[in-house]
Amino acid sequence: MRVSVPKSLDAALGLLAEDPQAVVLAGGTDLMVAINFGRARPEHIVSIARLAELKELVAGEQVLCGAGVTYTHLLQRVRDRALVDAARTVGSPQIRNAGTIGGNLGTCSPAGDTLPILAALDATIVVVSRRSGERRVPFSDWMRGPKQPALEPGELVLRAEWEEAGPAQAFLKAGTRNAMVIAVASLAMVVDRARRRVRVALGSAGPTIIRATAAEEMASGLIEEVGWERPLTLTEAARARFADLVAAAARPIDDQRGTGAYRRHVIGVMASRALQRTGAAA
Amino acid sequence: MVGKPVPKVDGAGKVTGQAVYADDIDLPRMLHCKILRAQLPHARILSVDTSAARRIPGVKAVITGQDLPIRFGILPVTQDEAALEGEKVRYVGDPLAAVAAIDEETAAAACDAIKVEYQELKPVMSIEAALKEAADEPIQSYPKRSDNIHRMVSYEFGDVAAGFARADHVREDVFFFQGSTHLPMEQHSAVATYAGGRVTLWSSTQVVHYVHRALSKVLELPMSRIRVIGAAHGGGFGGKTDPFAHEIVVAKLAMLTGRPVKCTLTREEVFYAHRGRHPVLMWVKTGVTRDGRVTAMHFRSALDGGAYGSYGAASIFYTGTLQTVTYDIPAYKFEGARVFTNKAPCGPKRGHGTPQPRFAVEMHLEKIAREIGLEPVELKRRNFVKPFSRAVNWLRITSCGLEECTEKVLTASGYANRKRQPGRGMGFAISTYMSGAGTAIYWNDMPHSEVQLKVDRTGVTLFCGAMDIGQGSDSVLAQIAAEELGLEARDIHLVTADTDTTPIDLGSYSSRVTFMAGNAAVEAARKMRALLVAAVAERMGVTDLEEIDVADGRVGEFSFEDASVLAEEKFGALASAGSYKPPRIGGPFKGSGVGPSPAYSYSACVVQVAADARTGIVTVERVWIAHDIGRAINPLLVEGQVEGSVYMALGEALMEEQVYRQGLHKWPSMLEYKSPTFLETPEMHTFLVETDDPEGPYGAKEAGQGPLLPVIPAVNLALQDALGVWIDEIPVTPEKVLRALEAKAKGEPPRFGPRGFPSVPYPEPILVEPPDPADLRVGDELELAFPMKGGGPPSAGAGRSPSPPGPPRAPRVR
Repeated sequence: MRVSVPKSLDAALGLLAEDPQAVVLAGGTDLMVAINFGRARPEHIVSIARLAELKELVAGEQVLCGAGVTYTHLLQRVRDRALVDAARTVGSPQIRNAGTIGGNLGTCSPAGDTLPILAALDATIVVVSRRSGERRVPFSDWMRGPKQPALEPGELVLRAEWEEAGPAQAFLKAGTRNAMVIAVASLAMVVDRARRRVRVALGSAGPTIIRATAAEEMASGLIEEVGWERPLTLTEAARARFADLVAAAARPIDDQRGTGAYRRHVIGVMASRALQRTGAAA
Repeated sequence: MVGKPVPKVDGAGKVTGQAVYADDIDLPRMLHCKILRAQLPHARILSVDTSAARRIPGVKAVITGQDLPIRFGILPVTQDEAALEGEKVRYVGDPLAAVAAIDEETAAAACDAIKVEYQELKPVMSIEAALKEAADEPIQSYPKRSDNIHRMVSYEFGDVAAGFARADHVREDVFFFQGSTHLPMEQHSAVATYAGGRVTLWSSTQVVHYVHRALSKVLELPMSRIRVIGAAHGGGFGGKTDPFAHEIVVAKLAMLTGRPVKCTLTREEVFYAHRGRHPVLMWVKTGVTRDGRVTAMHFRSALDGGAYGSYGAASIFYTGTLQTVTYDIPAYKFEGARVFTNKAPCGPKRGHGTPQPRFAVEMHLEKIAREIGLEPVELKRRNFVKPFSRAVNWLRITSCGLEECTEKVLTASGYANRKRQPGRGMGFAISTYMSGAGTAIYWNDMPHSEVQLKVDRTGVTLFCGAMDIGQGSDSVLAQIAAEELGLEARDIHLVTADTDTTPIDLGSYSSRVTFMAGNAAVEAARKMRALLVAAVAERMGVTDLEEIDVADGRVGEFSFEDASVLAEEKFGALASAGSYKPPRIGGPFKGSGVGPSPAYSYSACVVQVAADARTGIVTVERVWIAHDIGRAINPLLVEGQVEGSVYMALGEALMEEQVYRQGLHKWPSMLEYKSPTFLETPEMHTFLVETDDPEGPYGAKEAGQGPLLPVIPAVNLALQDALGVWIDEIPVTPEKVLRALEAKAKGEPPRFGPRGFPSVPYPEPILVEPPDPADLRVGDELELAFPMKGGGPPSAGAGRSPSPPGPPRAPRVR
C-alpha cells in the first residue's frame, strides 16, 4: 500500500491525475473503518490532511466551506443553525476533530449527517481536477446513488458553497442514542425568508438524500398566506398534512437500525416538529 | 482507613498510561497469533487444509483441533469446549485453527489461506426451535437428547398448591429479556512464554485460578509447570470469567515455537467470545391475599444458552433462586431450562441470571397491585424479606436494609407525590444480590480466598490471588491491611493475581472479593498486628497488650518501621496469613449449592423518564438509587460501582441487544451495537445504606452487581407511568413503545411482549420441606464462618436457638 502525503493542492491534483484509482484520505473516519474491517484494501492512498487550501472557511452572507473543514471548526464558525446542530451530533469530540465536510460529501452516504442540510441550504459543491479545472455541481445533482458522488476520475471536492439562509432552520435526527450513532432517520428544514424558499430534505430515508418537494410547496403556500416575514401559526390539520407529505416522500428500507415503517412514522413526527420550529422563527 | 473515600491505589497508573495491560506486553522475539473462526453457524468440519498457510513466509506455526483435542469448560459438568474445534463448529466465531507469525498481518493472511471444508447443518437460532427435535443433529452431543435442551431443573419448596388455594387473587404473566454483551473497554488479550519447561501466561482475565486449571488440563501439564498472571485489567463484567480459547492457544503455540506468543482479540471477536446475558423467556404465576401478601409463586424460565455450556448450569438456577431472598414467598415452585442454539455462548454478565427474573417479578407484582387496587410500592413493601430470616428454599438472610433503601429513594424522589402528567413518569423497583457464591466452581473444601502479609525493612507487602478488574479490589485490600496496621492505603505494597507468588483467590466474579479476600486480609493483618504489638509491648515493658495503640503510622511509642524491626528481631521473618471459607449454608437437597451466599446486598431504585408518545423515544432524566452495602470500606468506590451498575442497566433497558440475523451476529461492532454514552447518562442520586453485616469485613457486603438489577424494571415501570403501556420485553425500544400505544388506541391490551410460554418438558419437581423460618442454622455448622468483632446477631456461635435473633444496630444512611 502506497500512501502519498502531498503538501499542496496542486501536488494532490497531480497525484490524482496520474492515478485516478487512488483513494483520498481526509479525516479517515470512514476509510480507516473500512480498512480495519477488511472491506477496503486500496493500493494507493492520497492524504489531503495537509492541504491548507481545503481548510478555508469564509462565513458571511455567502458561505465558502473548504472540504477539509472539520466539524469542530464548522461548529465554531458557521451560523446556519441546522448545520451547527448536525455537526454537534456527529460522533464524539475526537471524531468531530477528524471528520470533514468533504469526507461527508465524498463518502456520499444517505446517512451522512450534514448532507440533508446541504440539500436544504441549496448548496453548490465545487470540485476540481488537473484536467478540467473547477466544476460546480448543485447539491441536487451530487448524489447519483448511495455512496456514488458526482465525482469524475481525478477530481477532488474543493468546497461547498451556500447562501446564509437566516434563523428559520431545523435539523432533527432519530437514533438509538444522542451521539456516536448512524441516524435511523434525519430531517433538515430551511425556511429562507429573504429568498422566499422552503426546503425539506431527508437523510437515511432512501438511497440518497431525498427532498420532500410536495411538502415544500405546501409550506411555502402556508407562509405566503401570512407573509414571509411573519411567524406562522399552525393548525393541527396543517401540521398533519405536512407530516404526511414529507413521510410520503421517504423511501425507507428495513435494516439493522430500524424498520421502514418506523422510519416513515418518525419522519412524519420530525416533519411536524420542524415545521413548528421553523414557522415560529421569523 | 475503613470508611474513607480514598482514590484507587492503581488509579494514577491507569490514567497516566503507566499500567501494563496484556496487549502492552512486548517481549523479545515475540510472535503474534490470529485465530481462524467459523463462518457458518452450524456445520461438521470435513477437512482443514493448512498447507498454503504454512508456506507463507513469516508463519512459524499453524495448529488445528488435532493439536488441542482435550475439552474444557468452566464447570466440571460441562466440559464441552475445545480450544480449537476439530469436528464441528457451533456458532459463527467458533475457533478452529490458529497461526503464530512474525506479525499480526502475516498471521491474518495465513488464517485466510487455511481451507476448511464443511458439511452444513441446520442452524438453531431460537429457544422455540431448540425445544423441537433437531433437524439433523443436536448442537451438543452430551445431553443425549434428540432436541437441544442443555439442562432442566425443577423444585417445589413448601406446598404451592395450598398457597394458590389460599390466595384471593392469582395472576400469570409472560416476559422476555433479550441478551446483551459486556462491552468492556479492553479487548481480551493474552501473552504466553515457554521457558525451562514452564508456561507463563499473562492475561486479561477475571480469574487466574480457573485459567490455570484449564491450561493444566488441556496442555496436560501439572499446575506446578504453569504460571498465570493477571495483567492490568480493562474491564470484565463477567465476560472474562471463563477460560478462553486464545489463552490456551497462545500457550500451546509458545510451547511449539519456543517463542513468546501474543493474541489480542479484535472487537468483533470479543462479541463472539461473549458469555454475556442469556436471553430468557419467563412465565410467572403468583397468588396474593386481598391485602397483597404473596401466598405462592410459580416461576418458569427458558434460557437461550448459545452454543456451549459455560456457566449455564448455574445460570439456570440464578433465574429462580434469588426470588425468595427478595420477597417473602411462603411457597415457591421453580422450573428452569437452558437450551443450546447456534449463537455465541452466553454466561455470566453483571447480575448473572438475576436481572431477567428481577425485571419479570417487579413488573408482575406491579400488575397484580393495580389489579387488586393496591399501591404497587405498598404491595411490594408488605412482602419484603426480613433481616435475619431464612427463605422457603433455605437461603439464609442476615443483614437486610431493604426498608431503609426504599424509604430513602421514595423520599428523595418524591415518588408518592409525583406530578401525574402524560409523557413523564416514575418507576420503583428493588433487588438483592449475593456477596460471593457460597460454593466454588469445582467441589473442594479449601478456602475461597487467602492473603499473606510480609513485613520487613521495605514495608508491608500483601499477597493475594484476587484480580482487580477495575472494581477496586486492590484498593480494598490495601485499605483493610492499612486499617489493621495503623497505616495509609498507599503504604501497602500489593502483589495480586499471580499463581506463582500469591495464595489463592477464586477471582473477580459473583461479587465475592471484598467479602472473601477482605475477610482473609483482616485475619492476616490482625495476626501481623499481634506480632508487632507483642514486640513493642515487650520493649515498653507493658503487659496489657490492649494498651498498645496501633494507629497513625505508630505502634505504641514506636514508629511502624521501628516496631517492625523490633518484631523481626524477636520473631525472625515476619509473615502472616489469613483465609476465608464461606459457611456451609445451603439447604439439605441436591442443587442447593447455587444461591447461598454468606450475605445478600439490597437495593431500591426510583427512575424518572420522559417518554415521547409520538416517536416512542424514552429518555431517562433522573435516577435515585439506595444500596445496602453493609458497610462502605471505600464509599467512593462503592458509589462508582453503584453508578456504573445504573449506567450498564440503562443500556440494557433501552438499547443493548445481542441479536442475530441468518445465523450471523447482527452488529459485532461498537458503532452498531448501541450502548449509552455520557450524553444518555442521567442525573444520579446515590445513597449508601449501612447495615453492618455480621460476617462481612467490617460489616461490608457487595456493591458491583446488585444495584444493576432494580434499574431495568424501574425504567420500564416509569414508562408505564408516563404512557400507560406495558413493555413486557427488554430492551424497551421506540418501535415497541409505538406498537403498544397503537394497541392501546385500538382498545386492545396496551402491551408489547411475548404472547406465550413454550411447552418445556421440565422434570418432576424435587419436593423440599421448607425450614423453620426462625432457624438460621443448618446442621451443626457454625452459621458464621468469620464473625467480625462487635457485629452480628446475638445467637452467633451459641447453641440452636428457636427464637430469631434480635435486630441488628439501626442502619446508618450516608
